[in-house]
Amino acid sequence: MGTSKSSALDQAGRWLLLALLIVYTIYNVGPIFWLLLSSFKSRMDLFSMPPKLFFTPDLSGYQSVFGVGAAKDSASAVGVFDSLVNSIIVSFSGTALAVFFGTLAGYVCSRFNFIGKGDFMFFVLSTRMLPPVAVLVFYHLMFARLGLADTRFGLILVSIFANVGLATWIMKGFFDGVPREVEQIAIVNGYTRMYAFIKLVLPMVKGGIAATAGFCFIFAWNEFAFASILTTTQAKTLPVKISAASGATGIEWTQICAAGVVLIIPVLIFFYLIRKHLLMGMTFGVLGRR
Amino acid sequence: MSEIELKNLTIDFGGFKAVDDVSLTVKNGEFVVYLGPSGCGKTTTLRCIAGLVKATSGEVLFDGKRVNDLTASERNIAMVFQFVSLYPHLKIRENIVFPLKARGVPRAEIARKLDWVTEVFKLGDDLDRYPAALPPGARQKVALARAVIRDPAVLLLDEPLSAIDEQFREEMRWELGHLQRQLGVTTIYVTHDQREAMSLADRIVLMNNSRIVQVSEPDRIFFDPVDVFAGQFIGSPSMNLIDLVPVDGGLRLGDSGVTLTAAQHDLPAWALGSRRPLKLGVRPLNVHLVDDAAQGVPLEIDDVFSVGRERFFSFRIGEAVHQGVDKRASRTGAATRVRFDPSGLLFFDAATGRRVTGEIAA
Amino acid sequence: MSAQSHAQRQAKLRQQSSGRLMIFGFLSPTLAILLFMVAYPIFSLVYYSFFNFSALRQGAMKPIGLRNYEFLLTDELLWERFIFTGKFVFICVVLQMLIGIFVGYQLQKNFRGRDLVFTVLMMPMMLSPVVVGFLWRYMLNSEWGIVNFLLSSIGLSKIDWLGQANAALWAAAAADTWMWTPFIVLLATAAFRGIPETIYEAAEVDGASPAYRFFRITLPMSAPVLFIALILRLIDSFKQYDLFVALTGGGPGSSTETVSFAVAKTAFSYFYTGEASALAVILLVIIIGLSMILVRHLQKMGEKF
Repeated sequence: MGTSKSSALDQAGRWLLLALLIVYTIYNVGPIFWLLLSSFKSRMDLFSMPPKLFFTPDLSGYQSVFGVGAAKDSASAVGVFDSLVNSIIVSFSGTALAVFFGTLAGYVCSRFNFIGKGDFMFFVLSTRMLPPVAVLVFYHLMFARLGLADTRFGLILVSIFANVGLATWIMKGFFDGVPREVEQIAIVNGYTRMYAFIKLVLPMVKGGIAATAGFCFIFAWNEFAFASILTTTQAKTLPVKISAASGATGIEWTQICAAGVVLIIPVLIFFYLIRKHLLMGMTFGVLGRR
Repeated sequence: MSEIELKNLTIDFGGFKAVDDVSLTVKNGEFVVYLGPSGCGKTTTLRCIAGLVKATSGEVLFDGKRVNDLTASERNIAMVFQFVSLYPHLKIRENIVFPLKARGVPRAEIARKLDWVTEVFKLGDDLDRYPAALPPGARQKVALARAVIRDPAVLLLDEPLSAIDEQFREEMRWELGHLQRQLGVTTIYVTHDQREAMSLADRIVLMNNSRIVQVSEPDRIFFDPVDVFAGQFIGSPSMNLIDLVPVDGGLRLGDSGVTLTAAQHDLPAWALGSRRPLKLGVRPLNVHLVDDAAQGVPLEIDDVFSVGRERFFSFRIGEAVHQGVDKRASRTGAATRVRFDPSGLLFFDAATGRRVTGEIAA
Repeated sequence: MSAQSHAQRQAKLRQQSSGRLMIFGFLSPTLAILLFMVAYPIFSLVYYSFFNFSALRQGAMKPIGLRNYEFLLTDELLWERFIFTGKFVFICVVLQMLIGIFVGYQLQKNFRGRDLVFTVLMMPMMLSPVVVGFLWRYMLNSEWGIVNFLLSSIGLSKIDWLGQANAALWAAAAADTWMWTPFIVLLATAAFRGIPETIYEAAEVDGASPAYRFFRITLPMSAPVLFIALILRLIDSFKQYDLFVALTGGGPGSSTETVSFAVAKTAFSYFYTGEASALAVILLVIIIGLSMILVRHLQKMGEKF
């Protein structure tokens, strides 16, 4: 900014700043790099001292995640690959339904005033704050009674609950950005409010819906607490499965690292797609208003 | 208070010269207004004086000292921006004393100065409010108070009144002029509004296409423009500009087929004798209707309209539409005679656009 | 009454009732899910918290009044967990806010490859918390972990990160900070970029030094957004569970058990369901109370601007 006189002190400050940024970058990126590297390491290379930067890549971790090749684990009934399938089914359906319901609720919260709206909004927001383990104490009983324990359907239900509040708030923010005149003109011209909502308003918040879906997906995809307690064998998701990836020979680090890499890929894609909307969603529209 | 000098100032924005070789001296305590159409380089010049934009070449001098390499904070300037730049999170009181606090002025001194500006700007009721609670005009007043509170060497104003309601603007303009005389602070003011410029300035600096066109007192720039641009930019409605083509015995008026002669129109002899095409500049206020068939130019009235007490009429010469003022103008469509007041005639070289006041070489 | 105004009234009535129908129809799925998955469980938790009850022997429910609460609140182990959770939250929030604001301030300017840099910086928070836990456990292994290797290669002594209570606290905080600082960076950058350029120019003209500008302009003007970041990190680190499962498993001993961890252990390892319910209720009260206070404060902040 501007034409500051470059004294020795300024110079020193600038170097310190740069040094701090470099240290942070190493802290930030290093572990990701190490995760990627380790996902290709064989058991021998994993524990070698000093750690190896160059080695013959070993694909056994990825083979077990995708259930192919020699590493296909036959020991347990539900393999790592099955848990990947569970993860995909649960997070995709959970996300879709949460966004669907959240869009409807967000629209009403943006456009209508109704009794108890403030309380409803806070209640919805508070579900984002809830510690999962607290409700899990009861879910554990409830799911067993209703026959939902260890089913994908049960996990989808949890996934909807865990995300619908967030979806409602984010979507409300996006609907707030659409002028009310859009519906008013349609209604004056004899169309129903429903028609205006579906044909006019929804297309205008397409980007917002995509962003909301991206958010919900990231949370649903990485969710661990609910899935770890509410599943036993059949419905385990990938994050749960890898937490149990300790065989007779200890923790399967290669497999965990490979699963970590596989898990981050869809999130990276979503993150890239919604990058423009990211901030508005995360701050519940506070930034948008300014 | 300081004397500001610009020496061959040039500011290049990646190949585009926003300011091109501008030199000017602003005297101590003077009120100078930069006037010009948008994009002419006036704001860039001002921002360069402030230290917010770097000069590509040339010098900026404060009291003879080169300040090119000083930051805005080191230059002891104060500035009011076009769009409100109050700090939204600070109360009016804190906004006003911000420049003092930022410089570590002692508390007693701050209190004294605050009392003074509060008095001068009559801000007593607003001190404990936030900027968002004030109308735009009042916010600019606060910005001005913040600017003058620490006796800056120079006060820079970047279209400070343009975002304010018409009504309030008039009042602010008056107060601003009054205040500047009272404080005697060297002031540089940027605007595209000629009325502001005319009423405030000791001197107007007219800019166009990144260059200074003319520097002179407000009156002179109106009566004595140096070229076609200056003539047309100043004055409202703007000056009529009519081609004059030399023909035998006089000057032909545009495409009208009418020839102006010495006897009829009081034209200066050198103009009548000109061998080069000229442009005639005549303000609508100097164009009237005449009854005398011996005088004036036979032309047809196109349209008539009134603005307040003034009754304007428009007429065509060829394709071009021009305007004049006369109470008697009516929309009869009949041929009329239009007279150009000889005292209000300005001549420009048709080729260069420069003002011509005497014989020019052919 | 003219025919036209009658028609208008009818149209208005129809619209009102269709509005009501829309409110009801659009809200009910969300409301139903939240009532079923939040309100009902919370009421049940409160109910169970008054019983001596185990999920393993569901027939035997013995009402014991407030004894679960009495037991918990006098249990020193629980207080230790609260203290540990508090320490963890404090370290995490302070580190993440400080680093996040610092890095965000450096990244607010436009530069080439900004999008790419951001995407790479954000990667830690895209990972599943369990993966993060395992990754750090792997890197922090006292014998063959990369961290100790790097420490010893610059001449420092190796640290038994996950084998000592204090080191484990810092290890967990380092992992949580690694994962979530990017989130603060993201929000802080956006908040800083939202401040109009003229405000900075005015401050510069007013003679404010860069440091003065930062503390008097930048920070207070982005306060609402930074406060949202603070709320989210405060609550999220307070209820942190996943990370500890993978990183420390609560150990060494029970030294890194957060309150959430304790709830899970009581409910799903010991199956003291009644006691776990009471603990869950305590946790809920704290978190909901905390978030109410913070959200109220945020609303007040927003009104000023």
